[in-house]
Amino acid sequence: MRPLPDWLTDNRDTASLAAMLAPDSSSSLEALAAESKAITLRRFGRTMTLYAPLYLSNYCSSGCAYCGFASDRKTPRHRLEPDDIRRELAAMKKLGISDILLLTGERTAAADFNYLQRSVEIAAQEMQRVSVEAFPMSVNEYHELAGCGCTGITIYQETYNRERYEALHRWGPKKDFIDRLETPARALEGGIKSVGLGVLLGLSDPVEDALNLYRHLRHLGRTYWRAGMSVSFPRMRPQTGGYEPPFPVDDRLLARMIFAFRIALPDTELVLSTRESAAYRDGMTGLGITRMSIESRTTVGGYDDPENKEKGQFEIFDDRTAKEFCLALRKKNIEPVFKNWEPAYNGPSDGNASTVHPEKAEPCH
Amino acid sequence: MDVLQLGSYTFSSRLILGTGKFSNATIMLQAVRASGAQLVTVALRRFNREQAEDDLFGPLSAIEGITLMPNTSGASTAAEAIRAAHIARELSGSPFIKVEIHPNPQHLMPDPIETYEASRILAKEGFLVMPYITADPVLAKRLEEVGCVSVMPLGSAIGSGQGVATAAMIDIIIRESGIPVIVDAGLRSPSEAAHAMEMGCGAVLVNSAVAAAGNPPEMAEAFAEAVAAGRKAFKAGLMQKSGSAIATSPLTAFLGANG
Amino acid sequence: MSQMITIGLNGQQQLLPTGSAVSDLLSIIGSDGKSVAVVVNEQIIRPEKRPAHLLQEGDQVELLIFAGGG
Repeated sequence: MRPLPDWLTDNRDTASLAAMLAPDSSSSLEALAAESKAITLRRFGRTMTLYAPLYLSNYCSSGCAYCGFASDRKTPRHRLEPDDIRRELAAMKKLGISDILLLTGERTAAADFNYLQRSVEIAAQEMQRVSVEAFPMSVNEYHELAGCGCTGITIYQETYNRERYEALHRWGPKKDFIDRLETPARALEGGIKSVGLGVLLGLSDPVEDALNLYRHLRHLGRTYWRAGMSVSFPRMRPQTGGYEPPFPVDDRLLARMIFAFRIALPDTELVLSTRESAAYRDGMTGLGITRMSIESRTTVGGYDDPENKEKGQFEIFDDRTAKEFCLALRKKNIEPVFKNWEPAYNGPSDGNASTVHPEKAEPCH
Repeated sequence: MDVLQLGSYTFSSRLILGTGKFSNATIMLQAVRASGAQLVTVALRRFNREQAEDDLFGPLSAIEGITLMPNTSGASTAAEAIRAAHIARELSGSPFIKVEIHPNPQHLMPDPIETYEASRILAKEGFLVMPYITADPVLAKRLEEVGCVSVMPLGSAIGSGQGVATAAMIDIIIRESGIPVIVDAGLRSPSEAAHAMEMGCGAVLVNSAVAAAGNPPEMAEAFAEAVAAGRKAFKAGLMQKSGSAIATSPLTAFLGANG
Repeated sequence: MSQMITIGLNGQQQLLPTGSAVSDLLSIIGSDGKSVAVVVNEQIIRPEKRPAHLLQEGDQVELLIFAGGG
């Protein structure tokens, strides 16, 4: 068994975050909220960046005990073909979306690297910013993906508790805890410009997981100091597979985590998805979160065919339209931002190269 | 054991002492002893037969546990600094070199471009490079990438005694750095050195503050104590500042009661 | 009287008997050579090479020591 990396036990600067997250913390939630709000306003202004997920495929080779798309679920499987993707993208653009997150399951023959690469290429022609949440890849694959217009990789560790991790990931390539841990570094090594990290709240002790997530971010920040980083706070909801989260995280603890991360990492993008209710997301607006998903569908596709009654990966709790959502943001004096990236900057990040290449990076195939 | 790691070398003292600007060599040597410093900076000068007592190599080498860190002061380009480093290594036998390149003799601000280039080449040649830089977080990371064993951002201008005026930038450098960050230049009082150590610096380098003090050996000792106290405080973990902001209407009302 | 040569020593002219080695120069100016770095025409002359390294007319010699510095 490969040993844990040193950074995972590095306590150099975790004390203040630990103090804020402790169950008997002396900092009141209201005081944390006030500080988090002030930092967010200073650093990000009155804005909220918006994105939407697009599930490309629900084929999966993994046995994640908590997931509606795990390979032993009866869920019907399909994938979007290039023409389907174009239709979905057109429907998303009509909603105002220009920043998307493409999702697949673990690597399968039906949805492999070539399929993903082709999908990124298509999406990059239509959208301003394309991120990917899929299976772990090699440094070379990430480099190729960056060349095709993928700027960000989202990859959650799910839990940093190795025992829990290995028990929950019953089979498949995802079972390898250390390989998963090293994936964000591989993405950045390959020239991906930003990584999104997170733990799936509910799987394990949330405070322990939050501290390890912080250690991971700090480690990556030191090593890949050019990288952009974001943190998501996905909270377990009833899944298609009927999994009951053994460590449920209530509203107040989730809020405490968000405020504490904002205070500990003033420059990091904090993300809250439509897994959370409209009331919760509205309440959080301006207090620490800087990026939210809108108009989410967790079925494969689903933008072009609103009548789709199939079950998704998880349930959506905020099903407002983009229009309704933006109205709520504006009521709080927050500007919705649909475009926060310029495709001219696409292509792998090339570290120290101080020479200017007049030609764009090698064409994508 | 809490030690300062620079390349393969370790030091228990986190105070580095400069040897310039003292009224005479005797006082300087007393200050070095009182400081407990294990790393001491020296500069290359032309030999002058009328002032043979200027030569510090012998007397400094006689102090137990001292490693010399020659600097490249006087260099205004990377090429000059590299030449000085070669000569200094010949003389000191020490792999340490403080790369210090300042083209402007008035304010002595380090040239980032020449410093980067000299550091890159010297690190490749096997020197343990300690570059003196402005408090620039990006430059600090670039220097780490080319193999420097430490970065030495200035607290404020050399000899200005303005303390850690660059604290906000040094904070970022410390947060991102994988090598020790050593505040060099600008410190005036031991409390400022303690502050730098509390922030998480690996060490501080002082010279003028000791050399120009009323009683240099006593001031050296005071700095040693302040550096040790600051380090201990950093290791112990400072308590949180209290969040004083109180919202007029509760920000967290939407969460309902304790759940 | 033997022939003399002129070299540059730390930027000043210095007369030396023809055939002087670097080590001779050091004893003429009263240095034991232990804590002095010798650079002749931009080339460092290590202690073990000093007795054999003969100085020529017009050589530029720099003698450097460690002095106080921060």
